[in-house]
Amino acid sequence: MGQKEHLRNFGMLAILIIILCALPSNINLYQRSVIMFTMMYVVLSLSWNIISGYTGYVSFGHVMFYGIGAYATGILVVDYGWHWIATLFVGVFVSFVVSLVIGFPVLRLKGPYFAIAMLGAAEGTRVVATVWEDLTHGGEGIGLPNIENSFETYFAMLVVMLVTIVVSYWVGHSRFGIRLNAIREDEIAAESLGINSTFYKLFAFALSAIFPAAAGGIQAYKVLYIDPETEFFILVTIYMKLFAMFGGKGTVIGPILGTFVLYIVQEITWVKFPTAHLIAFGVFIVLVARFMPRGLMGFAIDKGWARKGMVH
Amino acid sequence: MQEKAEIRSKYWLAVFLVAAYTIPFAVGIYTENVFFDLQWLADLTTVILNGIMQGGVYAMFAVGLTLIFGVMRIINVAHGELVMLGAYLTWMFFFYVGVDPLLALFITLPIAFVIGLLIQKLLLNAVVGGPELTPLLITFGMGLTIIHIVEAIFTTDYRTIPYAPDAFQLTETIAVSRSKIISFVMAAFISITVFIFLKIHRIGKAIRATAQNADVAMVCGINIFHIYMITSGLAAALAVAGGALVSIQFGFNPETGVLYTLQAFAIIVLGGRGHYIGALIGGVMLAVIESLISFMIPNGTAMVEIASYGMMVFVLLIRPRGLMGPKEN
Repeated sequence: MGQKEHLRNFGMLAILIIILCALPSNINLYQRSVIMFTMMYVVLSLSWNIISGYTGYVSFGHVMFYGIGAYATGILVVDYGWHWIATLFVGVFVSFVVSLVIGFPVLRLKGPYFAIAMLGAAEGTRVVATVWEDLTHGGEGIGLPNIENSFETYFAMLVVMLVTIVVSYWVGHSRFGIRLNAIREDEIAAESLGINSTFYKLFAFALSAIFPAAAGGIQAYKVLYIDPETEFFILVTIYMKLFAMFGGKGTVIGPILGTFVLYIVQEITWVKFPTAHLIAFGVFIVLVARFMPRGLMGFAIDKGWARKGMVH
Repeated sequence: MQEKAEIRSKYWLAVFLVAAYTIPFAVGIYTENVFFDLQWLADLTTVILNGIMQGGVYAMFAVGLTLIFGVMRIINVAHGELVMLGAYLTWMFFFYVGVDPLLALFITLPIAFVIGLLIQKLLLNAVVGGPELTPLLITFGMGLTIIHIVEAIFTTDYRTIPYAPDAFQLTETIAVSRSKIISFVMAAFISITVFIFLKIHRIGKAIRATAQNADVAMVCGINIFHIYMITSGLAAALAVAGGALVSIQFGFNPETGVLYTLQAFAIIVLGGRGHYIGALIGGVMLAVIESLISFMIPNGTAMVEIASYGMMVFVLLIRPRGLMGPKEN
């Protein structure tokens, strides 16, 4: 990967930034929200991609970090009167600590067992959020102060998305990312080459846990109401997984592309077919996993439109 | 060296299980939910009996999962959804046609068998033996589809089937609800029948041979893809039978399937993945611990879910073989 390609990629990113910065004042509130949520899912699917795409540990419970971030913001803003930007850092920190505590035992499990254990961990966090009423207000949820904040949240999400993209890009092009790929391909062989797989897995897991927390916090401030059912909703994990898989997991462009295409399609369809679109999503996961396991990027590589290699 | 680690892991598992069964009592004493009088002991006996009865039903749907895992090394995450589908099928026959829920098994089981067969033929046959995660994702998407199709038809309301709700008095203070006893007997009957089928019948033997070594089975003239299809159909039938038994004792809605998947998975991890008898024992053990938790810990019904996850994760970490699973290589 030469310097030229790095320049080209950053040029593409710069164009994206300029477009996204120019957009919000020219569009209405609804469109602003849609684009903000699209960016949120870019963050989520890219972070899922770090642990599941690069490292090969497919997580079925990444929504837990998103929920933790949302709850950190909700609790600190409502009960302690903090400024909402400050709460994001707390959410990120809590999520980081939780990811280390959970990751240390759970990352020893391989393949499907890791996936199911993460599913369990996410459900467990939801139960804790429901039961621990003193802290989280239990099942009745938390209502945040009702103010117009679509610009603030839009730009905050834009910043988080840029950080996520840059970090993903760095991971993809560094020795660290190559080591993660080695772990994905054959963990025992990687260890025999002197890669401390426990450390790298844990590091990747923690990296993939902090961005969803920030996104969850911004989202909580945006939607003004959080409760365990919506913040730990399994559908959020499904979305991030599906978007990343559809675009092509293990690449940087893949999840971004997948999210922009699929989220907007789902936004258009769900209004008209509230139940059918979920059925369609289930069928879609089956079809992508069965016939297109490498996603759009894999398809592009096969066609010769993109360079074959580790990341793009 | 290996044997030592083996024995050590066995001891750790024993310690873990003892701890798991003691914790509810400890918490109960701490929160003053435990009274040492006759009435409390009778309640405890009732709870444990109920747990065992419920365990039969859990075992019912766990054996389906363990069969699939044992033969194909696939984890079917849509298994709980098949249980839920079974409950709805039974409810449909009960509500619209007026068939007795247990007699409805004669109709629902063949339907389930065909469903399982088709799923295997269309989706899973091609991915057996490939990367482990592809079937996981496929069954996950399948589960999502099933949930939302059922939701579109029946809405998210809870359904119940009023069936033998009265209690059966064992003594004056100990009572078990009649529907639980009926479903326990049914579960025991069905799982023993399947067990005998696996041991004696030609196809059962072929299934076991495929589970042991698919390549050698193929060399011996077994069409393993037919065996996969039959196994999948059998597992779906067991899941639907479990669903029928669930439907006569609990309420259910389209979302309950996820919980059943996780419980079934916790059970087969505890009992040993791919081990038939292990799944039966694991089912009873998990159900007993769940009822102890909801009996003694305040807010326990919400904690029940954590019990199965905790059990699953710890057993996977301490001893991936579980109680009686085959050695991993």
